[in-house]
Amino acid sequence: MKLSESAGSETTGSSQNGVVASDTVLATFDLDVRYGAVVALEGVSVHVGKGEMVALIGPNGAGKSTLLNTLSGIKRPAGGRIVLNGKLAHVPEGRQVFPELTVEDNLRLGAYRGGSRDPGPMYELFPQLQRLRYRPAGGLSGGEQQMVAICRALMANPDVLTVDELSQGLAPLVVSDIARHLVELNRQNGTAVLLVEQNAQLALNITSRAYVLENGRIGMEGRSSDLISDPAVRAAYLGGVR
Amino acid sequence: MIRRMHRNIPSFASVAVGLITLALPLFLSSSNIEIYVNIGLYTIVVAGLSLLMGFAGQVSLGQAAFYGIGAYTAAILAVHGWSPLVALIAAPIATAILAFLIGIPLLRLKGHALAFGTLAIQLIFLAVIPETGALTGGSIGLSGIPPLRIGSLEISSGRDYAYLVWIVVVISLIIAGNITRSRPGRGLRAMAASVSGASATGVEVERYKLKDFTLSGAYAGIAGGIYVFFIGYLSPDAFPVILSIEFVIMVVVGGIGTVSGAFVGAALITVISQVLSTLGTGPSLPPQLPTVLSLGVYALILIVILRLVPSGIIGALSKLFNKVQSASPVAPPVIGNSVETVSTTDNNDKKEFTLADEI
Amino acid sequence: MTAFVEYLLTGVSRGLVFALLAMGFVFIYRVTRVVNFAQGAFAVFGGFITYSLLRAGMPQGISELLAVIAVALIGLVFGIITIVGEIPLLASLVITIGLSILSEAIGMLIWGTTPITYSGLAGHDFVIFGAFIQRQYLIIGIASLAVFVGLVYVFGRTYFGKAMSACASNPYAATLSGINVKRMGFIAFMLGGALGGLAGVLITPLSPITYNADVSLAITGFAAAIVGGLASPGLAVVGGLVFGIVEQFVAGYWSPSNETAVALALLVVLLLWQSRWVRLGGLE
Repeated sequence: MKLSESAGSETTGSSQNGVVASDTVLATFDLDVRYGAVVALEGVSVHVGKGEMVALIGPNGAGKSTLLNTLSGIKRPAGGRIVLNGKLAHVPEGRQVFPELTVEDNLRLGAYRGGSRDPGPMYELFPQLQRLRYRPAGGLSGGEQQMVAICRALMANPDVLTVDELSQGLAPLVVSDIARHLVELNRQNGTAVLLVEQNAQLALNITSRAYVLENGRIGMEGRSSDLISDPAVRAAYLGGVR
Repeated sequence: MIRRMHRNIPSFASVAVGLITLALPLFLSSSNIEIYVNIGLYTIVVAGLSLLMGFAGQVSLGQAAFYGIGAYTAAILAVHGWSPLVALIAAPIATAILAFLIGIPLLRLKGHALAFGTLAIQLIFLAVIPETGALTGGSIGLSGIPPLRIGSLEISSGRDYAYLVWIVVVISLIIAGNITRSRPGRGLRAMAASVSGASATGVEVERYKLKDFTLSGAYAGIAGGIYVFFIGYLSPDAFPVILSIEFVIMVVVGGIGTVSGAFVGAALITVISQVLSTLGTGPSLPPQLPTVLSLGVYALILIVILRLVPSGIIGALSKLFNKVQSASPVAPPVIGNSVETVSTTDNNDKKEFTLADEI
Repeated sequence: MTAFVEYLLTGVSRGLVFALLAMGFVFIYRVTRVVNFAQGAFAVFGGFITYSLLRAGMPQGISELLAVIAVALIGLVFGIITIVGEIPLLASLVITIGLSILSEAIGMLIWGTTPITYSGLAGHDFVIFGAFIQRQYLIIGIASLAVFVGLVYVFGRTYFGKAMSACASNPYAATLSGINVKRMGFIAFMLGGALGGLAGVLITPLSPITYNADVSLAITGFAAAIVGGLASPGLAVVGGLVFGIVEQFVAGYWSPSNETAVALALLVVLLLWQSRWVRLGGLE
C-alpha cells in the first residue's frame, strides 16, 4: 500500500494496479483518515464510474464530509490510496460562496486552475443565475447560493463532482429543483457525481448506486433501488422524520 | 503517576531556586543587587502578563504604562506627605482599579485590536505625563521621594530592597500559581495550540480576561511602587514602549501561561540585556551599539522562539522531561502493541504505513 | 482663512500618506488575518533607502521607485517569517512586533539616530488663499491618487485581484478553487510593503524620520484602517484623511503637544465603536 501524495489533484490512476477498472473516474482503497488520535475513516473503499451518480449516506458524524474533504485534498489521508482519473471538483457543505464577490466572479474563480473562465454555459444550466450575475453572492437565497456553489465547481470542468449536503437548510421544492438540474447535468455532460446527503430518500432516488457509511466504515453498498427497499436501510435512514 | 511526578519536580526545582535566590543578595555587589531587584520587579509584572496571555490569549502592549502608573501613584502620594507604606499599598490598588475600568470597554477587543488598544493606552500615558507637570513633575520628573518605612524599619539598602522584592515575588507567584491550577488544562492552549480554543468557553473566558487584566494591573502596580522607592526619583523616560515589548518578550521566552516561566523569562532577558550593554559599551564603540544589540537580540529571540519553541523555555523543558520519561525503561511499552497504538499522532503516519506494508 | 487652508492641505497630504499605510494594514489583514505591527517599519525603510540612494547620486524618481521595490521585498521576507507554516494568529502578531524592533535595530545600525530627510519635488512653494503650500503635497496627491486608482482597477477588474479578494472573503472556498491562500498572503505582505514604503518615501521630505518612528506611524496607519474595520481599503483612505486633518487642526488651533494624545484617544474610541459591529482582531 502506498500513500497517494496527490489526493484531489489531477492524477491518472496507476496502470500497474489492476483493480482500477478503465471506466472508473474516482476510487479509494482502504482509506484511513484521522484527526489526531481520533479515527475518522477506516478502510474505506469506494469507486465512482465514468458518468455515474453515486450516493453516500449515513448518520451524522459517520465521516461522510471527511471523505469528501480528503478526496478534494483539504485533508490528508493517514493511509490508503486515492485514484483519480481526471478532474475532481467539490461543492462544500454550507455552500461556501465568496459572499462579497458577485455571482459572476464566484463562477469565474471556479476556473482558477485553468480552462475557460466564461460563465455562459452555467447560465444556460441555471438560467436564474443570469439575472443575478452582478449581485454579491452573499445576498442570495440559500438555493441560489447552492446553484452558485455547484456552478463554481462545474467551472473547473470536472469529470467528477463531489457534493456535500445538497439539501442542507433548503426548502424541499428548492432541493428537488436543484437535484433535477444535477441529474440533467449528469445525463447531458456525463459528469460523474458523488453525493453526500443527509436526506437518504432524495439521495437514493436520484443516484444509481450508494454506499452507507457508519462509524467511519462502509457498512453497506449496492444499487440505490435495492438499498431503498432494504429493511435495515429503511429503518435507519428512511423511516424517521428525515 | 507520570503526571504527579511531572508536577512535583518543577515545584522541587522552584523551592531550590527560592532558596538560592534568598541567599544570593548576601553575596552580590551593589550594582548586581540592582539587577537582582530589577529581575524581581520584572518577574512580578511578567507573572501578571503571562496570566493574561496564557489564559485569556490576549497580548497587552501597555504593561509598562501600568508599571508607570503604579510608580507615579506611590511617588505622588509619598511626596505629598502620605506614609510611604500606605503609598506603596495604594500603588497596586490604584493600578488595578484603573486596569479594571479600562478593561471593561477595552477587553471587548480581541487579539491584534487589543494589542493596539493597549499600546494606545501606553502612548497616551507617555503623552499625558509631560502635560501634567504640576502633579507629576512632567517630563523633568519627580524627586525627593522619601525612603520606604515599614513601622520603625527603614528599607534603604539595596539588600533590604532585594528581600522586599523577594517576598513580593514569592507571594505574586503563589497567587498566580493558584489561579493557574484552578483552571486546569488551559495553560498554553490559547497561544501554543489552538487560538480558537481560547474563545471557546465564552462567558467564562470573558470573566477570566477582566480578572487577569485587573490582576496584571495590580502586579505591574506593586512592582512600579517598589521601583520608585528603590530608585528614589521618577521620570516618564523610565516607561518607554520598548519596556512593554520587553515584558511580552519575557513572557514568550519563559513560556506563556507558566508561572515559573515568568521568573525564567525576566531573569534571562534582564541578564542578556545587561551583558549586551556591557559588551556594546566601550571608548571606541559607537554610542548606539548597546541599543542596536539589545533590540536586535530581543527581536531574534522573539522570532526564533515563536517559530521554533512556541511553548517557551519552560514548555520545552517539560516536553524534554516528558520524552526522557517515556523513553525510560519504566515507561509502559508503546511500540509493539498493535499498529493502531503506534500511529496515534500525525507525525507517525508515514512510519506506520511502512510498518503496515511489511505486514 | 489662510491658516485654515494651510492646516487643511497639510492634513490632507499627511492623511493620504496615512491612508497608504492603512491600506497596507487592510490588504495584509484581509488575506492573512494578521495585523502587521511592522507596517510602520516599511515606511521608515522607504525613507531611509531613498535617502541613501539619493546620497549615492541616483536621480530622485529612480531612488524613490527603487526604495518602494526594495521595501516590497522586505515586506515579502517579513510575510514569510510571519505566516509560513502552521502558526497561531497571536504568535504571528507577536512575531510582527519582533520584526518591528528588528527593523529599529537595523535602521539604527545603518542610518544612526539622527533624524534624516531629503528635499521632495524641486521648485517653489505655491500659494493658495495666502497659504504657502509645499510642492511635495502635490506629489503626494498625485502619487496616492495613482495608487488608489491602480488598486481599484486591480481588485475591481482583474482576475488576480478577484482571486486575492476571494482569499479574504472565504479562504476555505478559495483553497477548494485551487487558489494558494498562503502564497496570496505573501503577495499581500509584498503589497503592504510597497504601500508602506511609498508612504515613507512621500512623508520623509515633510517630516524627518528616525529609526524609531515606526511605532507612531504604525499606530496612526492602524487607526485609519480601523475606520473600515480593517476590511475596507476605501474606508481606510477616509480614515487616513480624518486622522491627517484632525491631527493638523488639533496641532494648529489647540496645541501641538496634544496632537498625539487626541489622535490616540480617537483611536481608542474608534476601536471600541468598531468592536460593537465587527469582531476585530481575527480571533474568531
